[in-house]
Amino acid sequence: MVDYAWLVPLFPLLSFVILLFFGQRWRSGAAYTGVILTFLSFVVAVTVLIDQIGGSTAAVTFDWLRIGDTVLSMGFAVQPLNALMLALVAFVSFLVQLYSKGYMAEDPRIGIFFAYLGLFTFSMLALVISPNLLQFYIFWELVGVCSFLLIGFYYYKEEAKAAAKKAFIVTRIGDVALFIGMILLFWQAGSFAFADIFEAVEAGNIAPGMVTLTAILIFVGAVGKSGQFPLHTWLPDAMEGPTPVSALIHAATMVAAGVYLVALMYPLYLASSAAMLTVAIVGGFTAIFAASIGLVQRDVKRVLAYSTVSQLGYMMLALGVGGYVAGVFHLMTHAFFKALLFLAAGSVIHAVNTQDIEKMGGLWKKLRFTGPLFLAGALAISGFPLLSGFFSKDEIFVATLGAGRWILFAIALIAAFFTAFYMFRLFFLIFQGEARHEEKDVYESPGSMLVPMIVLGVCAVLGGYVNTAWFGTFLADWFGSSTNSLGIDESGGSPGVTIIATVVVLGGIYLAWLIYGKRAISREWLSGRVPWVHKVLYRKYYVDEGYHHTIVWFTSGFSRFLGFFDRFFVNGLVELSAVLVRAVGGMVRRLQSGQVQTYGTVVLIGFVVVILIMAVTGGYFQ
Amino acid sequence: MSGELLAFFILALIAIGGGVLMLNMRKVIHMVVALVFTFLSIAGLYVLLSAEFVAVVQVLIYSGGVSIIMLFGIMLTRHNDRSEVSGGRLRRFLAGLGVLVFFAIIFYGIKDLALGGGEILLSGQSQGGDQALYENNTEKIGISLYTNYIIPFEITSVLLLVALVGAITLAKRDEAKELNDDE
Amino acid sequence: MNDLPLSLFLVLALVLFCVGLYGALSKRNAVIVLISIELMLNAVNLNLVAFSKYGVIPSIKGQVFALFTITVAAAEAAVGLAILFALYRTRGTVNVDDMDDLKN
Repeated sequence: MVDYAWLVPLFPLLSFVILLFFGQRWRSGAAYTGVILTFLSFVVAVTVLIDQIGGSTAAVTFDWLRIGDTVLSMGFAVQPLNALMLALVAFVSFLVQLYSKGYMAEDPRIGIFFAYLGLFTFSMLALVISPNLLQFYIFWELVGVCSFLLIGFYYYKEEAKAAAKKAFIVTRIGDVALFIGMILLFWQAGSFAFADIFEAVEAGNIAPGMVTLTAILIFVGAVGKSGQFPLHTWLPDAMEGPTPVSALIHAATMVAAGVYLVALMYPLYLASSAAMLTVAIVGGFTAIFAASIGLVQRDVKRVLAYSTVSQLGYMMLALGVGGYVAGVFHLMTHAFFKALLFLAAGSVIHAVNTQDIEKMGGLWKKLRFTGPLFLAGALAISGFPLLSGFFSKDEIFVATLGAGRWILFAIALIAAFFTAFYMFRLFFLIFQGEARHEEKDVYESPGSMLVPMIVLGVCAVLGGYVNTAWFGTFLADWFGSSTNSLGIDESGGSPGVTIIATVVVLGGIYLAWLIYGKRAISREWLSGRVPWVHKVLYRKYYVDEGYHHTIVWFTSGFSRFLGFFDRFFVNGLVELSAVLVRAVGGMVRRLQSGQVQTYGTVVLIGFVVVILIMAVTGGYFQ
Repeated sequence: MSGELLAFFILALIAIGGGVLMLNMRKVIHMVVALVFTFLSIAGLYVLLSAEFVAVVQVLIYSGGVSIIMLFGIMLTRHNDRSEVSGGRLRRFLAGLGVLVFFAIIFYGIKDLALGGGEILLSGQSQGGDQALYENNTEKIGISLYTNYIIPFEITSVLLLVALVGAITLAKRDEAKELNDDE
Repeated sequence: MNDLPLSLFLVLALVLFCVGLYGALSKRNAVIVLISIELMLNAVNLNLVAFSKYGVIPSIKGQVFALFTITVAAAEAAVGLAILFALYRTRGTVNVDDMDDLKN
């Protein structure tokens, strides 16, 4: 089955092509087309995954372009990492599309929406099975385009347009770095293929400085895509897109691509401790930075967005400290519970028609399914014992400690505390207390929206058991079995760390309950004492403003200068030539008077000039 | 100064004077009459050049035919019209300048030109050939025309016929049109 | 009888040619333009006849050529005047300046 892995991206592409032609006319038909084709893709992906667990790998390439001795190839490859990603992406995409069928049912452009989703899924799946960096880059950019299209889906909203542009431009900054890194690697290793690059790195054919440089450049690409500090600003704004898109972007496709890239290029990072440290520090800083912003935001999707940024920081941190399995493991569990949280939030928004958590409340009794599912997701992401997030975060803590990064470990713990706090702040504000919303009739979402949530809920609860210190480290064994060269450390569980983490998480939940559930502590306790802290957090550390006043200001100023230059200098030259031509034309036009005698005079003068030249040069009379 | 040279100068003076008068006259008819003097003096110069037949033809065709046609042309169009100099000052200046430069260059080229014929005549070696030019001049031209130049001669006659037919056609068509307009 | 230099005739012809040329280029009346062209042709004829007597090989050929030229000039004068009449009938003028149909 592994040899048929290329079928996996093909089904969503087929969906895209079909819906591109017929999507305008079909409505529910479009949804069914997308869902069914993605389901087929998921089935194939699962069989590939099972086959791959059985030990078979595939690597098929064919020549695409031949330039001299250099061959650019296309093809596909299946290893443990991308087999897992294939199944994960197809799975989440399938559930999101199923959910969208209900969520987007009333949108007139539902056909286009499903077409975009198909293209998005296709790009991500194709990215995952790419065997070389060039092909990877092509689909990487395609993912960026799709995210642009989907974030700007409500293009008639100014915010959506701005968010789409922002997402595109900010990620492009990272893409440029990735491109440079890619070209440098090609220059050094002579090939785009991952295998060749790793071989060259391991054989020491690339200078250590160059390895570090390329690793960091590629990491910058991942930073852009995965919303790490300082390129994280697009991700919260991307909430302007439809909620299922947010779920897809945050759980499986777009942001996962960055983490996947770092995981994929792991041999490169192992060769450079400086690059590893960079990844770890950026990841750790992003984790606590985004989590602290998430503490005070009022928009439910925005809180979840910062939560995503924070969790991605965790993954980068894990990868940076050598916890390869921990990072990928957290990527997987995060896909489950973040998709669940977004879908549940979408369900809530669907019910009360607002995204402001201050205007919700008391929904527990009305949303019989959404409430418990959201709770499950919140517990999972917080790392409540025995749920999926607990195990994956535990792995990260252990890996960080194992690497001896005490400060990062402390940061990760604080971020975990923040995570638990803001997730339960959300939960209590939305589902507990008195109703503050204006919507009279609050109904539970339809079945097509609930089913994906339930499936994801089960996964979020149980997904952690594929790799636990207590019941067996299947995931680590699997990765370790086929890719020994990655140097994965088999860190067993550490009871002390587990206990500390559990205490921190429970503390966060308890504090949230005290403030927002029981109201034992005034909500204004912090903002009343030190208002600037709240303000700084609420304004997201003024990063957007900072960018606006420095980079955007500078760029637009420079653009204005160039525009000025263009209008007055370049355009002036053009107009000068136009004026010259017109003047010459005017002169020549006056010669064309139509009068025979004028023509005769001109002929005479020409003739006289000719014979004059002959007389002077002595042509005839010498 | 020989009588021949004197005759040449008188005739040349009349010819150039006619031309210059033509340029400076105000009335169109006077211009044509001034040119008739030029044509006649050129006929006299032909006699000086031992070309009696050409001189007679010149008098008949130019002084007679062409001048009369031109006078008719003037009278049929606007006989009281004064012909002013046309065009702008610039064009007139340029035309005059061009003509002057042209004159200067050609004059520089021909002022000392003397071809073999003159020298031969001066040395008296080809006296017979010279004598032959004005002896039986008309007969010689006739023989030459009907022997060596018979084809150009015939073509010229065709040209004259075409010119005749063309001129009549141009005039006649317009007359018919005018008649139609009158009716 | 034969002591006149060739260049005298040539210079005279040149003067007449230049007068004709200037008249053809600067006069307004089309009839005068035509007659100026006749003057130029006459100057050429004078050259031909002069060469027939004082040329490298004196012969009757120059006079024959002059005759041909006179014939063609007469035909040209006739056709030119016919065209001039036609123009005068349609446009009501013989001014060369007003005949600028080529412009439009």
